[in-house]
Amino acid sequence: MTCTAKKCGIRFRPPAIILIYENEMKGKNRQRIMPVRNFSKFSDCNRAAEQLKNNPRHKSYLEQVSLRQLERLFSFLRGYLSGQSLAETMEQIRRETTIDPEEDLNKLDDKELAKRKSIMDELFEKNQKKKDDPNFVYDIEVEFPQDEQLQSCGWDTESADEF
Amino acid sequence: MAEDRARPGELDQTKYDADDSVKIICLGDSAVGKSKLMERFLMDGFRPQQLSTYALTLYKHMATVDGKTVLVDFWDTAGQERFQSMHASYYHKAHACIMVFDVQRKVTYKNLHTWYTELREFRPEIPCIVVANKIDADIKVTQKSFNFARKFSLPLYFVSAADGTNVVKLFNDAIRLAVSYKQNSQDFMDEVLQELENFDLEQKAAGDPAPDREQRGAVEGPAPS
Ligand SMILES: Nc1nc2c(ncn2[C@@H]2O[C@H](COP(=O)(O)OP(=O)(O)O)[C@@H](O)[C@H]2O)c(=O)[nH]1
Ligand SMILES: [Mg+2]
Repeated sequence: MTCTAKKCGIRFRPPAIILIYENEMKGKNRQRIMPVRNFSKFSDCNRAAEQLKNNPRHKSYLEQVSLRQLERLFSFLRGYLSGQSLAETMEQIRRETTIDPEEDLNKLDDKELAKRKSIMDELFEKNQKKKDDPNFVYDIEVEFPQDEQLQSCGWDTESADEF
Repeated sequence: MAEDRARPGELDQTKYDADDSVKIICLGDSAVGKSKLMERFLMDGFRPQQLSTYALTLYKHMATVDGKTVLVDFWDTAGQERFQSMHASYYHKAHACIMVFDVQRKVTYKNLHTWYTELREFRPEIPCIVVANKIDADIKVTQKSFNFARKFSLPLYFVSAADGTNVVKLFNDAIRLAVSYKQNSQDFMDEVLQELENFDLEQKAAGDPAPDREQRGAVEGPAPS
């Protein structure tokens, strides 16, 4: 089956993931409602997303929907179930899915570090040129001359004899 | 400083004395992209060897420099960087250093200072390349000046392990620098220093404190030409 995902969202009551997609008949949008069962405010969003994505009945429809997006949708549901406002949940998701540039990652244990790395992986994978890409080039050289006129990076200026 | 020589069986570093073998070390904070850079350079050819007791990953590579085959061991940290300090054996006999920061995180740039200081305690002379990684995330940084490199007269490379910009050049240049450093070797000087240290130790009565790094620094003279 060829199915082009258009939009994917979540409904809180009763909880369901809803997919808007287009099938072979181009131009006609269809809707698929995938009920969420056994999910509470204590549930693991990543697990729930994986389970849904691998669910034999929904699998083929969700191919184009990333695990991250599903995980995010489950986070909204969890926030709702714990009585958070939408704004609070969004702030929490932002915290969990972005890197705080000030945080010293040397101070984290393996598990927390792995979490940060998986957040970083999102951009890494987006920008990654893979070996099997048709226009992959192994050795890419670009010159960035460091001449005197350049503006400072802004990280050097704290004290006079610091770099 | 002497302890890494006391465990030859486990992590034999004498091979780095051979003419055709060099050791290149990677330094930098957690998550700056050291391992991704290694993997991008070596692609499928990478055969990492985990030495978990040392929190260390070794990548073996064969390169050709001026028509000669060179065996390169890249040393990558595997967690030890979180202490912002590496064991002496990590630096031992290294011929070049690749020092990485993340252009998106200022702390990793600031910490270069700590890394560089430690590197110079152990290897005062080896070539060192400063690497600004992840430029794909913010290409504008390539238009900015980074004084750290300038201050210590170190080459600065703008790279991306993700899209590959300048990664191959970085590693090939590092290999060249390592080989040429080795040819004009300061190793000789290091051996002499080690002899001096041993001598020093033997001279001292038992119970005296071992010579520290300062003393080592103090006996360093100008390099032989
Ligand atoms: N956008 C981008 N992300 C990168 C790049 N290199 C590494 N990363 C990300 O940074 C994370 C840490 O990289 P890693 O090689 O494990 O860092 P290490 O701890 O220094 O070895 C990876 O999970 C990637 O997601 C890069 O060039 N661009
Ligand atoms: Mg690593």
